Amino acid sequence: MASNLNHRMRRYTLKGLHFFGLFSAMMVLCVPGLWIVLNSFRPTVEIMAKPPVWIPNELNLDHYRAMFSGIGEGGVPVLTYFANSLVISVTSTVIAILIGMAGGYAFARYKFNFKGGMFVGLMVTRAVPGVALSLPLFILFARIGIIDTHFGLILAYVALNIPFTIWLIDGFFRQVPPELAEAAEIDGCTRWQAFWRVEFPVARAGIASAGIFAFLTSWNEYALASQLTRSTTSKTMPVGLLDFTSEFTLNWGGMCALAVLMIIPALILTFLVQKHLIAGLTFGGVKG
Amino acid sequence: MKTLLSGASRAVLATASLTAAISAFGTAQAGEFDGVTIEAKLIGGQQYEALYARIPEWEAATGAKVNIISKKNHFELDKEFKSDIAAGTTDWCVGSNHSSFASQYPTLYTDLTGLVDKGVVAEFVQANIKAATFDGKLVMLPRAQFDVSALYYQKDLYDDAEKAKAFEAKFGYPLAVPETWEQVKDQATFFADPPNFYGTQYAGKDEAIVGRYYEMVVAEGGKLFNDDFSPAFDSEEGKRALQWFVDLYNAKAVPAGTTNYLWDDLGNGFASGTIALNLDWPGWAGFFNDPSSSKVAGNVGVAPAPKGSAGVRTGWSGFHGFSVTEDCANKEAAASLVEFLTNEDSQKLESAAGPLPTRTAVWDYISEQAKDDPYRREVLAAFKETAATAFAVPPTPLWIEATNLIYPELQAAILGDKSVDDALADASEAVDDLMQEEGVY
Amino acid sequence: MNRLKLPPWLVLLLPAIIILSAVVLIPLVLSLYSSFTSYRLTRPDSIFNWVGFFNYEKALTDVKFWAAFGRTVLLLTVALNLEMLFGLGLALMVSKVTQGQRLLRTMMMFPMMFSPILVGFQFKFIFNDNVGLVNNALQSLGITDQAIPWLVDGQLAMFSIIFAEIWTATSVFGILILAGLYAIPRDPLEAAKVDGCTAWQSFRYVTLPFLMPFIYIAMAIRSLDVARAYDIVQIMTNGGPARRTELLWTLIGRTGYVDARMGYANAMGYISIFLAIFFTIYFFKKLTQSRKELGMGA
Repeated sequence: MASNLNHRMRRYTLKGLHFFGLFSAMMVLCVPGLWIVLNSFRPTVEIMAKPPVWIPNELNLDHYRAMFSGIGEGGVPVLTYFANSLVISVTSTVIAILIGMAGGYAFARYKFNFKGGMFVGLMVTRAVPGVALSLPLFILFARIGIIDTHFGLILAYVALNIPFTIWLIDGFFRQVPPELAEAAEIDGCTRWQAFWRVEFPVARAGIASAGIFAFLTSWNEYALASQLTRSTTSKTMPVGLLDFTSEFTLNWGGMCALAVLMIIPALILTFLVQKHLIAGLTFGGVKG
Repeated sequence: MKTLLSGASRAVLATASLTAAISAFGTAQAGEFDGVTIEAKLIGGQQYEALYARIPEWEAATGAKVNIISKKNHFELDKEFKSDIAAGTTDWCVGSNHSSFASQYPTLYTDLTGLVDKGVVAEFVQANIKAATFDGKLVMLPRAQFDVSALYYQKDLYDDAEKAKAFEAKFGYPLAVPETWEQVKDQATFFADPPNFYGTQYAGKDEAIVGRYYEMVVAEGGKLFNDDFSPAFDSEEGKRALQWFVDLYNAKAVPAGTTNYLWDDLGNGFASGTIALNLDWPGWAGFFNDPSSSKVAGNVGVAPAPKGSAGVRTGWSGFHGFSVTEDCANKEAAASLVEFLTNEDSQKLESAAGPLPTRTAVWDYISEQAKDDPYRREVLAAFKETAATAFAVPPTPLWIEATNLIYPELQAAILGDKSVDDALADASEAVDDLMQEEGVY
Repeated sequence: MNRLKLPPWLVLLLPAIIILSAVVLIPLVLSLYSSFTSYRLTRPDSIFNWVGFFNYEKALTDVKFWAAFGRTVLLLTVALNLEMLFGLGLALMVSKVTQGQRLLRTMMMFPMMFSPILVGFQFKFIFNDNVGLVNNALQSLGITDQAIPWLVDGQLAMFSIIFAEIWTATSVFGILILAGLYAIPRDPLEAAKVDGCTAWQSFRYVTLPFLMPFIYIAMAIRSLDVARAYDIVQIMTNGGPARRTELLWTLIGRTGYVDARMGYANAMGYISIFLAIFFTIYFFKKLTQSRKELGMGA
């Protein structure tokens, strides 16, 4: 009886600790972000206040209103930036996935010389710091004349995302026994049909997880975008954040408002595909 | 049809706005640049963009079109110009420029002397024209974004009889708005009550702290560089200047994080009501006195920048302007746009929002306008007084690079990693190495 | 028809190879060349001014460079390990929850939605010593009556940067390790229970070895990605004050763009690329090894 009680006490304590730990971890992860969301609704005088104003006296949409208003009155071409970001991120993600599928399939299904070296070689391209890459890339793009175009940035982001997509999708295709596709071919499918009917469906989760990582990378990338974009024709939202700074000033409230517009689509997308994301990472990364 | 239209528009312009166009655009003539497209890279940001709304007027008057191909903040634009020079993509025409950065692009911009009428140049404040001239080349025309710092302070600190008594007892002279940097130090130490209230603050990194140090060296009677650009700040004056920053930091009269502050932190700090005295730029005047952005609104006083021990006011200054590239296909049209963006009406428009003009006539005009606004009058008086003795940064293309060598050493001295003597000796040696490596002497 | 026939694997890999060559390889060759010149951005002709190993010598004999190098390695080591530990803890706690997992997982990934440049600004304001969130909170709660100079103090400045870096990246570890936890087969865990293993023992000897490949993957992904920290550090401290937080990336960025000395910057860049490659290959080796131990290797 006593040991039973003891046991139960222990379980409650553990449960309490678990709850407490989880709660504080989530606090640390979410509070700095929610602080940004809150700031976007507060007048500047309260954000930077001292003594601090813990309970907001006033919440309003001023920063949002200003952001959407005309140039010179606090306006920033948000919708254009949003459209640019969307076009560039989605297109580059789709292309990176297609190329990643081809590459992943090659690594999973074929044997060739220097396979391991080539694989690591592809991965290492991702390890090159953006600072070291941005200027030569700029000179190259400037010579071809694709500075400040969607195409230029898409090209850069595809390159940025290919290594990781290949890697993840490669692991996935290894999950599919080659015999399965072979059987389909015997049944009269072409190689191409066999791929789409048999192998592709299995790899779908892997593709979803590679996709979300690629999308988030492109959506949030700053260093290359700041170098390769110049005007509203191609500036993306992370670059647009800097519109709120000038030589002497920084409009933090306005910046937060734009940040919220950046976060919401990414958050919704993540929420929708997270199930595939988990499954994708499980198989793609490791079991290959 | 096309010719008919452009002919018609020309006719309309010629008849309807002939007089207006001629008076407003000086040398520009209606339809003068028909079919010309000017590509421009302009500085973005709220403070700067109201002016660009005037561009259609110039387009209508001259028949040219302006295509803004880049709009970024100042530092991003600087990076972009350097990348452009590197890639050889410099055939756009008009670029925003800044007096402190202009010397870095010796090959990029053309000499405006032949392109702009002498009479027009004479209408600007001549000290600004001098600071826009490098090796005899006038590389830009200044817009109404002239920057020099004056002293903002919280007025009620000087209304408190008890404080005044305590101050006089301690320092032996009456408490009043400071006129020397020595007094600023005394008062800042006196007012400080960390962590809730600080006496003053200063920009603590990048070019910003070197600029502040530079003006302090000058105010102490010294020089940052000799005439051949060899470092001259490892001197008695240089040490006194740096000691001022160190003493304030040690006395906890400035926020502990001040060595990581840039302009926005300083402005927000003073607006939060936790800083007594704040040497800052004219662009903040409106912000500080606006209750929706500042807690000290209504309590802001502005005085001319204090003097150093040599009796010289600090007055590190700079300004924004517009330049025309060397590779521009139609320099006349580009120069006409630059002239338009810096003409009297443009400067009146910009300075109405707070920034300081660079044309003599516009200075008079805004002073007249501010007659009925005591705060604005006080602001203008303080800045006008400071501007009278203001000075630009040393005209060397290596200025920014030199500041990157100097500022970590200044920080090291302020934070106590090094003594003032060591820090200045190290900085001086590093700058000397740089100048020699670059073949300056 | 005598068409050149490429092997199918090469055809499949070709798009990837072409794009990576165009966007990464060619620029790298360009910057490798310029690292042997006295190339200055503002003087384009200087790219033809061959100086041999001068830039490399200059970097390798520069105390400031080595200090930044050491600090970068320190940051990488500390941040990656802590991220791994926190990610592991987070994943374990989330996996034990029975209800609302979907929401929790989304919350867990919240920091991944933030652009690094935004994270930089965010923590610059949070750690501001005068009006920042952290000091305001500590002072309001009466924990301290000092203004703690988070971004200035020798130790705290590095701490703040590492904190920001960990904040953004723990999610990546968390989500990968969580994926691993879901994939653990039930049998060995039950067997361990039957054998009378304590919770700790079954974690140490069953769960953890199984998770190792996931951990190395996360490490490899992160070590590929850490240069992203450049945006964060540049905004938060820009390597200062007094070079206390100078990292290779801030040093290179400033030398290359602000000082316009691209040749020298690229020489330092190359040394830092080798560092990145070393970390990547190291974690790949570890990954293959632990895959083999689990019998999953291909």
